[in-house]
Amino acid sequence: MSKKTNKSAVKTPRSAFWSSVWAIVWKDLQIEKHTRQIVSVMIMFSLVTVIMFNFALEANLAAAREVATGLLWATILLAGTLGLNRSLAIERENQTMEAILMAPINRSAIYLGKVISTTVFVLILEAILVFIFIIFFNKPYWRPQVILVLFLGTIGYIAAGVLVTSMTIQTRTREVLLPVLLLPLSLPLVLPAATIVSSYMFPQLPDLAEIQTPLSLVLVYDLLMLTVGFLTYHYVVES
Amino acid sequence: MELTRLNRNVRILNWAAFVTISIALLIVFFYAPTERTMGNVQRIFYFHVGAAWVGAVAFFVALVAGAVYLRRPSKKWDTVAVASVEIGLVFLTMAIVAGSVWGKPAWNTWWNWSSVRLTTITIAWLTYAAYFMLRGAIEDEEKRGRFAAVYVIAAFVTILLSYLSIRFVNDLLHPVVVGGTAEALEGQAAESLQEFAPGVESTRMVISLNASVIAFSFLYAAWMVNRIRLQRFMDEAANLKMRVVARLQGELS
Repeated sequence: MSKKTNKSAVKTPRSAFWSSVWAIVWKDLQIEKHTRQIVSVMIMFSLVTVIMFNFALEANLAAAREVATGLLWATILLAGTLGLNRSLAIERENQTMEAILMAPINRSAIYLGKVISTTVFVLILEAILVFIFIIFFNKPYWRPQVILVLFLGTIGYIAAGVLVTSMTIQTRTREVLLPVLLLPLSLPLVLPAATIVSSYMFPQLPDLAEIQTPLSLVLVYDLLMLTVGFLTYHYVVES
Repeated sequence: MELTRLNRNVRILNWAAFVTISIALLIVFFYAPTERTMGNVQRIFYFHVGAAWVGAVAFFVALVAGAVYLRRPSKKWDTVAVASVEIGLVFLTMAIVAGSVWGKPAWNTWWNWSSVRLTTITIAWLTYAAYFMLRGAIEDEEKRGRFAAVYVIAAFVTILLSYLSIRFVNDLLHPVVVGGTAEALEGQAAESLQEFAPGVESTRMVISLNASVIAFSFLYAAWMVNRIRLQRFMDEAANLKMRVVARLQGELS
């Protein structure tokens, strides 16, 4: 009898988990809505990078088109490190991480919330980048398959990124250390993802058999990294 | 001060490594047949595979040590993880250099980015080299061990992905020698060797390859125990230094 009343009064563990995930996501989106410091920095950085690359390749527009997919991914990765650093530095500067840790919520929920909110920021950036790349390089980046691969690649990258950034932000060298750790760690994901995107850059679509292998590599990476982050995140934020 | 003497197990492993490597050298140079198309250059293959094999084993040991460290934090497991990553990185470098020396006559180039294997091995090398950057940036010993353990677990994802991409992405240049499991190793090695040397010669090649892999494994074990011992010395030295500093400060005040 008393058990039943308890059950209805207290949320089940699963819904408590998800409500704390959404609370973190909502908090991050609210902060970003008011300060606009993460997305705007990433967008400005990407614009500068793309224009710089354009100057570097100006003499040869055909060459620029050839390497456009590589440029897109390189820009996303580099801008992503800025976004990740900012997103976790905010928690540190305002000491909100300590406050969150004091709350009786699962550490994996914090991880998942951070991954979701940062992925949203990077996806906003990607929407703008795709638009810019279509204009500058005249390539079919609007294809839904390309968007899907960008989405899948971003999840894996941010899954690794939140875990690594949560560590580097607590070290002596901080921002400097993040790209050194994260870029090699994310290459096994980005290389197959870039392979898929570039196979969609031709007028005719590639057959599914052609992209099957790189696509499964991307999915396996996403799953593995999310699992590792999920299981080990509380060792990273504990103090 | 019993630390200054080599203990018995370390001595036995050192000798075992020395003997097996000597035997492997003799086998590779005198017993293994000269390969038909590539000639003597092919003998590098035995070292290349041996070193790459140990590299993979070392990173797996580091993964296990990292996971155990997170479960029950103890300096011991952190030391095992550092030692293993360090040695794995050395062996991986050896495999890359040996492969590159072999690649020059075989492909007429030192390096070829179109080979999936070469790309993934470079990624793995960078990932594990960064491990030391992370360690170097953290002063607190307990935190360093914890973060390093998490990183070494995440880094193993790159090793897993390399295995997957080698198995599934067509690589025209590099044969698959070592599979996911130990049993597959034998079959794969025999299979890929038979492609260019059928019959009795290939059996001798498989024996040479196995001898080389066993010798390298002993070398790895010997290096591990020596490296762990070295770490203990370093910790001891740091400890003594702290005590001297404390003593001097006490005398001054």
